[in-house]
Amino acid sequence: MTTHIPRRGFLGALGLGAAALALPGCSSAVDKASTGTGGKKVLTIVQGADIAPATLFGQNNPNFSINRTVFNTLTEYDHRTLRPQPGLAESWQVKGNAVTLKLRSDVTFHTGRPFTADDVLFALENLKRPEVASQLKHVAQAVAKAEKNGDHEVTITFAHPVGNAFDLFEIMIIPDRETIRELAAGTKIIGTGPFKVDSYTPGTGVTLSKNPKYFKPVKLDGVEIKVISQSTSMVAALRSGQAHLALDLAPLDAAGLKGDSGFQVVVSDANDSVFYVGSNVTVKPLDDKRVRQAVAYAVDRNRILSQVLGGIGKASSLPWAPSSPAYDAAKAGTYSYNTAKAKELLAQAGASGAKIDLFYNAGLGTNAKIAEIVQFNLKEAGLNVSAVPLQAPDFQAKLTGGGIGGLFVNGHGFGQLSPATLVKGAFPFNAEKNASKFTDGTYRSLADELWQKPGAPVYGKVNDFLLDQQFVSDLVASAHTFTISTKVKGLAYTMFDYLNLDGADLA
Amino acid sequence: MIRYSLRRVPSGVLVLAVASVLVFAVLRLAPGDPAVVLAGPDAPPETVAKVRAQLGLSDSLPAQYAHWLKGLLTGDLGHSYILGAPIGKLIGHGLGATLELTLGALVLAVLIGGAAGIGAAVPRNRQVRALANGFTSLAGAVPPYVTGVLLVLLFAVTVRLLPAGGRVPILSDPGIGWQYLIMPALCLALPVAAVLARFLAASIRRVRDEDYVRTAVAKGIAPRRILVRHVLPNALPPVVTVLGIQVGQLLGGAIVVEAIFAWPGVGQLLLQGVLGRDYLLTQDLLLLAVAVFVVLQTLTDLVQAALDPRRRLEGR
Repeated sequence: MTTHIPRRGFLGALGLGAAALALPGCSSAVDKASTGTGGKKVLTIVQGADIAPATLFGQNNPNFSINRTVFNTLTEYDHRTLRPQPGLAESWQVKGNAVTLKLRSDVTFHTGRPFTADDVLFALENLKRPEVASQLKHVAQAVAKAEKNGDHEVTITFAHPVGNAFDLFEIMIIPDRETIRELAAGTKIIGTGPFKVDSYTPGTGVTLSKNPKYFKPVKLDGVEIKVISQSTSMVAALRSGQAHLALDLAPLDAAGLKGDSGFQVVVSDANDSVFYVGSNVTVKPLDDKRVRQAVAYAVDRNRILSQVLGGIGKASSLPWAPSSPAYDAAKAGTYSYNTAKAKELLAQAGASGAKIDLFYNAGLGTNAKIAEIVQFNLKEAGLNVSAVPLQAPDFQAKLTGGGIGGLFVNGHGFGQLSPATLVKGAFPFNAEKNASKFTDGTYRSLADELWQKPGAPVYGKVNDFLLDQQFVSDLVASAHTFTISTKVKGLAYTMFDYLNLDGADLA
Repeated sequence: MIRYSLRRVPSGVLVLAVASVLVFAVLRLAPGDPAVVLAGPDAPPETVAKVRAQLGLSDSLPAQYAHWLKGLLTGDLGHSYILGAPIGKLIGHGLGATLELTLGALVLAVLIGGAAGIGAAVPRNRQVRALANGFTSLAGAVPPYVTGVLLVLLFAVTVRLLPAGGRVPILSDPGIGWQYLIMPALCLALPVAAVLARFLAASIRRVRDEDYVRTAVAKGIAPRRILVRHVLPNALPPVVTVLGIQVGQLLGGAIVVEAIFAWPGVGQLLLQGVLGRDYLLTQDLLLLAVAVFVVLQTLTDLVQAALDPRRRLEGR
């Protein structure tokens, strides 16, 4: 008896068989991505936005992955004691308004050119240029004289006492002066750091390889930085083994990985991601500080902390991180959720039922969620609040240009180190010109005192002033996060959250 | 055929000229300032003003437009405000990736849509038709961002069979490249396949009622031969028109799919340009998209003219 095999069935089976044979023949992209190529130890980092070489001289989140991996800074704070530690400067001496820094003599740029005192002088001059943005620019502008004493020593003399000179030395990367024009365009990114840039594809990522002439032993062979705009896609890259480290996942995504044994969510102890509600004090009824205080009482900070930030952070009425010398635990709890008190203050100010717009950057999911809670809480307190979502450039332009006509939800940093850096450098608090259009002689004097004569007495006065005026109502002091696979060892970061991979390794 | 093609050139140039004005004007009307983005967070207004002047944004709008147009005509696309790199180079990097994704999706859409369309219209078996109709409804209803996330969860996270995102160019390493391409291409292809299937099924049903098909059936010609030689050639022209329009949809959909799969194409670049108010980059990309669309429409017309000689004689 013969068995009839249908032609279609035969052809179908043949096709499936061919596919089954062909598939194992291909090498697996998943295996290749997770093990690297040629047995080299290549750390893969994913981040939500592309690096921005033009803003490398200040703190800008997308650059966290290259500020300290491609470049070095003069000094680096110890996280526990906040005392400066050697970087490119191996020792220093402070005398009056002058700081003399002794520089390492064994450092070269990735081009092979030796690093000298001239590079430090150049970095300072570069920071003074009007088109170069940095939150510590005011410190560079306070330099009265900078001179070299030989090839590896510089003396920087300030025009007046400066309390945050070492903040400048921690944030100021030392660029290669011969390629500074190409640096802004991202075509040549040359530093002295442990890794050199092999390629940079804007919008896609950066490939780094070990700098063989680095002055410390480096364990990793390279670093691959990939831009993945969606936080959920970053999580997928981590979970699938394609990435080892994710910078700043959306807080709830990071919180979701906390209990997973394959990952660790490293919460930066700099705690410099503070969310706040700002008030344009020239807009009625926000020109009355009782209304601003009512706003501060009305918001449920703990709800924001748990529902939006996944418990990462701490509710606080102060702008400082706990590491700051100006942080006062008792005063940090001044404003807590108290709708009755908010209503009372609004009634006193005659502002019950007043119409107020609440602006926020709709491109930032966290800010949008916080704005929803703030809007709800303020309605509870009796204000008629309309939410105004804006696209990022529009929001930033309005914020910088003073065009925000009401309340706004945003985030700020710079509360973790010298308090002067916040009131002189961070735009929401800048005593000279700020997003709230708050100008006040007392505040300016306090800011100057904080800068030139820092100490406990002025910290107390500034805290009382900020808590009373509430042109910025701080809500939650959260933190940047580094979500890592447990394969990653020796991860470190600076107090400005710049990744430090000097001692990093892959298990 | 050449004369037919040349007749389409003036209208294409006019469309591009009008589009250039619209693109330039609409972007300038949108609130926001690239100088603010470029200056970074906490930059004071003085720094922003200096950056704005450096970018040439302090010039009058007609001067900015003339400068851009002159650059385009001389082959200089300018530099991206935010990324700093030459736009020609940026587009060069991204365009290959987007074309690879779009072509991959197009091939899948034609294969899947063709099979589903024939499956919905031809077989006598009701279950096969129901299956094909069910597939087209589902594929058309589920948006790419849902399909994308589901595919990643299933094949990259749970089974770990395919990479979650990224790209290896298929031409440089086909064995690895297809594994990166398959999920985003499928995700992009499914809604297009659903549309094609519906149009193809409807078109096949219409053609099957034509007299010449009935005659063929009456003559006892094999059903498969009738389908291949008589029904499909006459059912395809309207589907080709739809396909031409759908390619435009594919390019638009690529923005979402590229974001989900970290596919480094021009969709991501365009999104970055729009969100950063990177005027030059966005203008160049939008104009490129219009140019691609004009070319595709022309190609669609040409394919239709090849399929149906009456089209070539129109307007003579």
